[in-house]
Amino acid sequence: MTHRRVLPNGLVVLVVENPVSDIISARLLVRAGVAYESRSQAGLFSLLASLLTKGTQTLSSMGIAEKVESVGASLGTDAAADYSLLSLKTVSADFPAMLALAGQIWRHPSFPEAEVALERRLTLQGLRSMQEQPFTVAYNNLRCILYGDHPYARPNMGTAESVAALTADALHETHQAYFRPDNTVISISGRIAVAQAVDLVEKVFGDWQAPPTPPPALRFPAVPLTPANAIAAQETNQSIVMVGYQSAAVKEAAYVPLKLLNTYLGNGLSSRLFVEMREKRGLAYDVSAFYPTRLGVSQFVTYIGTAPQNTQTALDGLQSEIERLCTTLLSEEELQVAKNKMLGQYALGKQTNAQIAQLVGWYEILGLGVDFDQTFQEVIATVTPEEAKLVAMESFEAPFISILGPEAAVACVR
Amino acid sequence: MPTEFPATVVRLDNGLTVIHQEVPATPVVVADVWVKAGAIAEPAAWSGLAHFLEHMIFKGTDQLAPGHFDYAIESRGGMTNAATSHDYAHFFLTIAADSLAETLPYLADLLLHAAIPADEFECERHVVLEEILQAMDDPDWIGFQAMAEQIYQHHPYGRPVLGTADLLNQRSPEEMMCFHKAHYQPENMTVVMVGGVNLETTLALVTHAFRPFAQPTTCPQSEARPMPSIQGIHRQILELPRLEQGRLTLSWICPGIDHLTTGYGVDLISALLAEGRSSRLVRELREDRQLVLDIGSSFSLQRDCSLFSISAWLEPQAVAEVEARIQEHVAAIADQPITEAELNRAKRLLCNDYAFSTETPGQLAGLYGYYGTLARPELCVTYPQVIQGYDAGSLQQLAKTHISPENYVATVLKPI
Repeated sequence: MTHRRVLPNGLVVLVVENPVSDIISARLLVRAGVAYESRSQAGLFSLLASLLTKGTQTLSSMGIAEKVESVGASLGTDAAADYSLLSLKTVSADFPAMLALAGQIWRHPSFPEAEVALERRLTLQGLRSMQEQPFTVAYNNLRCILYGDHPYARPNMGTAESVAALTADALHETHQAYFRPDNTVISISGRIAVAQAVDLVEKVFGDWQAPPTPPPALRFPAVPLTPANAIAAQETNQSIVMVGYQSAAVKEAAYVPLKLLNTYLGNGLSSRLFVEMREKRGLAYDVSAFYPTRLGVSQFVTYIGTAPQNTQTALDGLQSEIERLCTTLLSEEELQVAKNKMLGQYALGKQTNAQIAQLVGWYEILGLGVDFDQTFQEVIATVTPEEAKLVAMESFEAPFISILGPEAAVACVR
Repeated sequence: MPTEFPATVVRLDNGLTVIHQEVPATPVVVADVWVKAGAIAEPAAWSGLAHFLEHMIFKGTDQLAPGHFDYAIESRGGMTNAATSHDYAHFFLTIAADSLAETLPYLADLLLHAAIPADEFECERHVVLEEILQAMDDPDWIGFQAMAEQIYQHHPYGRPVLGTADLLNQRSPEEMMCFHKAHYQPENMTVVMVGGVNLETTLALVTHAFRPFAQPTTCPQSEARPMPSIQGIHRQILELPRLEQGRLTLSWICPGIDHLTTGYGVDLISALLAEGRSSRLVRELREDRQLVLDIGSSFSLQRDCSLFSISAWLEPQAVAEVEARIQEHVAAIADQPITEAELNRAKRLLCNDYAFSTETPGQLAGLYGYYGTLARPELCVTYPQVIQGYDAGSLQQLAKTHISPENYVATVLKPI
């Protein structure tokens, strides 16, 4: 259902025809994101993404906004862990003009000094306001101990020190180095024929030439070898407790079994953590787990928000549920339910054109290929209880713990 | 613009309303059950009970053990959840079309015959109290509640849907049972079904599953709901711990869903003022003068009265200047010309947003259920037409009447 074409300049086009609604969604993705930043450059791609829509060689920031908003389109940019992207959504008739605008933004941003200064200031303020949310503070602390000098340690927006030092020149150089046709993927989903979509992309991007030298390669620094704890005292109403593990990257064999274990533990009202910690013990409103898909070392995190007096109990609960996965075989039924849940929700995650464009573009930019959509689902079905337990034993050896809460509550954990 | 209502509305013999739309290309079905049993149905002393009941619905019936429903849905690859607001509570599931017949009876059983066991009531109360603690760590929730309390005055929209720990600790399973039996009755409920299922099957499944209802009981009535009215500027300043930036919110009360055309007009004013970088407030305050870190507006359509708010994130020392400039812009809507291009931009944004938010069965079911519960489901499709029908003159008239720069509630959050 996904049609893939490679233009002569190396740009990959993916098209999914979906005539149901009068809507077209697109993603422009580039192999460049937080993973490509050194410590001193942290926040580079996030700032670059926010500047893309703030001026091109022929349009001002307001000129771009007026073009987009006058047709009621939505056009946004963002930097993620392993890539950066531009998201576009229009009614079908407006798509050609908006793709042309997106092309200009992608290829010829001008990074005006005044706009760089404004967005840098807003980013610094955004970093400060992250401190307002206890969950975010606890999670940022966890990432620091999990990752050390690895770029996944830092928030996408970077750090106050690094952002203050980012300049328009740095943005120009970075754009030049990474934004090139052979490093770009364009995915389109909606009421449009494959040939027409490819034709439009060719018109806008066909004359874009890749430089002769290859784009910068991705090199990850090592992650810390020994686990650590991060305890933060804040006079909050709830304590946040997180237990995290360095875990498999997307191209490793353990990826699918870990996704399944994550579903088992943390996905939905019948998940293990929800039932044991919330439904049976009333310890939390929010208790779950996440395991993001990453090109580099990922993270498997369980977390809970609980009344301060339950901090230690909640930590013990999370740890014993993880230990159980390493010592007890899941029953065939438990595993089958997790598989059904994972496959069902995977299908439900492909309902809108935006979701479809995101998924196919993302697989391509990570180098997983268009078949991944299918093989991923096939591999899920093959995971056995023995394999799940083996992967759990390998993955859950060294817990990194982050706790945030009132002094008295976190002191006992210390 | 499509104005024909694409769904079918059927009233069953027992008074239950069914709204159905078949979406042929979809292998899934969304069943979304809406109940007129939100926080406005509570007497003041029972504040939070409607939301707590939404939690307890999932704790089973005489036929279904706690958690069994969640397991039945999720083990078939489906999803389920629920939400409670002032005007409604609703419960929804998304599931493969061929599993609907097996699972819909479970949902109906939960809603009609909730057992509310005493031990589960005690345990789940802890969960709701945790939900309240979590909300209290969110400064924006604190700010919103303070604003609501001030602007809605004696109307129950001013009370938090979650209730308070103090009041919830005084409630009993018997009181909740009484609230459930009084309100979860067919004439208060709408079953919306959208997706890969036809009308005939839908009606057969719903008729079979949604019976019998509990014998209705009387329970303490909610108090009268006096309409709020704001004269003058009411300013409230909250000093909060751990705050890194200030907030300023200006809020107006607008007519409720019975005055839909007016409400949609306010939505249009909201888009003119603060939707997108080229809107008046974002352009001037964020981009040009750089007085705010961000600014946005929202219009929330409700049953008794609606809410229009403009919120800015800013350094606390900029509050006075930003408030003055927002006042100027609000005044300008009423007494200075609105260009055709600007009006068209706002119309197009809103009509496209409407198209973008009616893409999936879940979105459609939510839309029909919301309008069906607050007024009539057919109304939702009038949105694009009403928006397109506005001209600058009628919009200015509306602004003069409802969005006054002299009558509003201002809520300021500052770091301690």
